[in-house]
Amino acid sequence: MRIAGTERGAPFTLFVDGEEMAAFAGETIATAMLADGRAAMRRDRSGAPRGLFCNMGTCSECLVTLRGDGGARRVRACLTPAAPGLRVETGPAA
Amino acid sequence: MLIVEAAHANAGASGQNAGSLHFQIERRFLEQGEAKAAEAAAITGLSRMAVDDWRGLEQALGADLHVHMHGGLMVAETADEVAMLERKAARERAAGLSAELVDGAELRRIAPYLSERVIAANHMADEGHADPRAVTPAFVAAARAAGAVLAERTRVTAIARRAGGFAVTLAGAGAGTVQADQLLIAAGVWSAGVGALANVHLPLFPVALQMNVTERVAPFLPHLIQHVGRRLSMKQAHAGNVLIGGGWPSRMAAGDGRFDLSRRPELLAPSLAGNLAVATAVLPHVGGLNLIRSWTGTTAITADQYPLVGAVPCAPGLFVAAGGSAFTLGPTFARLIAAQMAGGGAAAEAKAALAIAAPARFDHLNSFMGG
Amino acid sequence: MIDLAIIGGGPAGQAAAEQAAAAGLSVAVFDEQPRPGGQIARQPPAGFTVPDWLAGRAYAEVRAQLARFEGLGGVAWHGGTAVAGLAAGADGFRLTVVTPDGAERVAARRVLVAAGCYDLPVPLPGWTLPGVMSAGAAQAFVKSQRIVPGGRFVLAGTHPLMLVVAAQIVESGGVVAAVMFDQPLGRCVARALADPLTIVRHAGLFVDAAAARRVLARAGVPVRFGRPLAAVEGSEAVAAARFADGSIMACDRVALCYGFVPQADLPRQAGATVRWQAVAGGWATAHDAWMETDRPGLFVAGETTGVGGAAIALCEGRLAGIGIARSLGRLDDAAAAGLARATRRRHARLSGFARMLAAIADPAEVLARVPPADTILCRCEDVTHAEIDAVLATATAPNAVKLATRCGMGVCQGRMCEGALLRRIAAADGTAPGAAGGFTARFPARLVPIDLLCGLDDVSAEAVAD
Repeated sequence: MRIAGTERGAPFTLFVDGEEMAAFAGETIATAMLADGRAAMRRDRSGAPRGLFCNMGTCSECLVTLRGDGGARRVRACLTPAAPGLRVETGPAA
Repeated sequence: MLIVEAAHANAGASGQNAGSLHFQIERRFLEQGEAKAAEAAAITGLSRMAVDDWRGLEQALGADLHVHMHGGLMVAETADEVAMLERKAARERAAGLSAELVDGAELRRIAPYLSERVIAANHMADEGHADPRAVTPAFVAAARAAGAVLAERTRVTAIARRAGGFAVTLAGAGAGTVQADQLLIAAGVWSAGVGALANVHLPLFPVALQMNVTERVAPFLPHLIQHVGRRLSMKQAHAGNVLIGGGWPSRMAAGDGRFDLSRRPELLAPSLAGNLAVATAVLPHVGGLNLIRSWTGTTAITADQYPLVGAVPCAPGLFVAAGGSAFTLGPTFARLIAAQMAGGGAAAEAKAALAIAAPARFDHLNSFMGG
Repeated sequence: MIDLAIIGGGPAGQAAAEQAAAAGLSVAVFDEQPRPGGQIARQPPAGFTVPDWLAGRAYAEVRAQLARFEGLGGVAWHGGTAVAGLAAGADGFRLTVVTPDGAERVAARRVLVAAGCYDLPVPLPGWTLPGVMSAGAAQAFVKSQRIVPGGRFVLAGTHPLMLVVAAQIVESGGVVAAVMFDQPLGRCVARALADPLTIVRHAGLFVDAAAARRVLARAGVPVRFGRPLAAVEGSEAVAAARFADGSIMACDRVALCYGFVPQADLPRQAGATVRWQAVAGGWATAHDAWMETDRPGLFVAGETTGVGGAAIALCEGRLAGIGIARSLGRLDDAAAAGLARATRRRHARLSGFARMLAAIADPAEVLARVPPADTILCRCEDVTHAEIDAVLATATAPNAVKLATRCGMGVCQGRMCEGALLRRIAAADGTAPGAAGGFTARFPARLVPIDLLCGLDDVSAEAVAD
């Protein structure tokens, strides 16, 4: 839930596992996902979902895959800014 | 049998190496001209035995060692490198190894993940990797089952050579003095120091290397990758992490006029960048992965770069097994040195198999050492 | 080469930068967050406007420091930048700094690590379910990113900060099902009353806690004591919190708050001596009166030296800044001592409060409990308590257990599991946690894309001079 009374940056959309998601300039990927009710960000070795734990770059539980034209990259969702058109995946690391 | 370990089993290079099973003639033997390359072909005899030893090791030890022998590729990027590979492959085939030069469409089929820069590779079907985390504990369990006692956190502080044996003084958790008929020094980089306690030179030179590991990713790299012209060894471990090394140096600590093996070697930035640059040039996908850890470890090499395994002639009853390549060749060294120490019919054959590694080649250094 | 590289843009780093800049040093500050503030004053993104941001009295001092820092000239701010490596060089230190766009080496005569702390991880069943997060994580979303990161929160732990976080969630329009203290209220009161003078000196902070409780009371949020959290339940995500008394509370988020441990990767990587923190654990870096470690030229301040709170961090940052200027000959001993005098007095006064807060929040009982065997201890490598215990029968050296189980081999470099492992080892062999050291701290302190490191040149002297 985005907190009322805060003026945010410009709105845009990104894609998480192919689904469109709204975000505002300045938000991290983790913020966009949690504001949208998506807590699972990666899968562990058993396939169980995992989500953000520390929100400060320390635990790396929020590693998501960013899919770009040049390939995929694993980034910490809590530190990485959301950006227009970004393609985020929460499946197993490839 | 008493096994004395200063720290804990697998604490040193046994547990810190990257687990390559490499049976091709190594690049380091090709760096010093054709004569050396031809001479080094003799090591392939041990490699051939090691292939069989690794094929049977999981069954022999009754443990899952994550042995993957799905083939290795030593890659070439230039015409000169390809020529070097061809000469090497010919020597390996002559020695009975399954070397095969692949290029063009066949190379892309086998290894679609390789960069376009790679124009050919020497493919050896038996190469691969195993898990150093699992191998040493499995040997420990097997040794215990065979009646050996492992004394961890125990250091050797004195060795007295007696008629027909040794009196070995121990400090630490297993403190005391033990009598032994025979003594095997297999202390990796610390072997020369243990040899000194027995008043023999074991001419081993410590070298510090660094290695790198990525985050886990889904399996994409079934092969062991090496490079004939640049330092590179790369494979995807059982757990999914990609291990990247290949003999890049770190820096040993020094003090009191000698290298200080008690301190952790220092990571070298040029080695880090250089190693990762070669890895990415050969396998572009690696560039997008995250590095999670770089670590340093020490090993020991001899003046001619061949291992040092066998009886020490000037000190009857004293044996050594050290000098590098001891993950790939370790089980083979162990089997042969055990046969040699046990005596009997298999001893002479084992000694012959270890000829290239025989300590006798350096025994002149001990001609001034007294008894 | 710059005079001073500061790692961490929180209160300690800011205060040090202020002192060092005043003494004429060239200073660069590195932080993974885009804007200065640290976790205590983690700022909203530059494009956000937030009315009455951190208006409470507890934040007045750090906000004043932040305003001064942002007005400083001569200090280069490097936000969004991770420091992955720290090593001694010929005439100073070499840092490996990483942004999403590249990595470079930075040379500095002096380095200050003021890297703050993180929430003490406490393994318990279900703590790996999506929706379980640290209280600090939840609070940072509210303070900075301006979301309430869930629908219905349970806060559980031992640290009074829970009250503040819960109140911030409620005031932001969120729902808190309950604040559940593990320890009985009587123990908190007894430990506070053990030092009444400290209560009087720091009355303002108690007033803030009381204000938070009033916010929660108005919203009808129960605050309970003596209610240990036993497990978090759910299949794909958090569905409920289960307590030791058997009660179950429906929720979609559980925020854990058992205290804090220092970020110690970089001092350990550089070889500085660290000591295990008494109760919450974690490695506190040892230092002298000028905050210099036993690696000459490497300084520490704030939570890196042991968790004490923002006010102490400010003092230590000031002392470090003065000490660094002194060590570079920009201040003589007398001038440095004079500048530091008032700060040293204040530091001594604040220490009493930090000790009292630590006593109230004491997680010792929680940490002594042994969770069920299938509880995950190492989150990165999915290593359970049972797997650890199986190895402890034959190996108790931290690096040996790591090698045997993969505990600590993962992406977080052991930050999330090292403490729990060292406590298990201590319980197994009857020693104190950390007595036999911990994992070997390795490069990189934060994960780094390999292609960024390939082009890493050796030191570029001008890298941060602009």
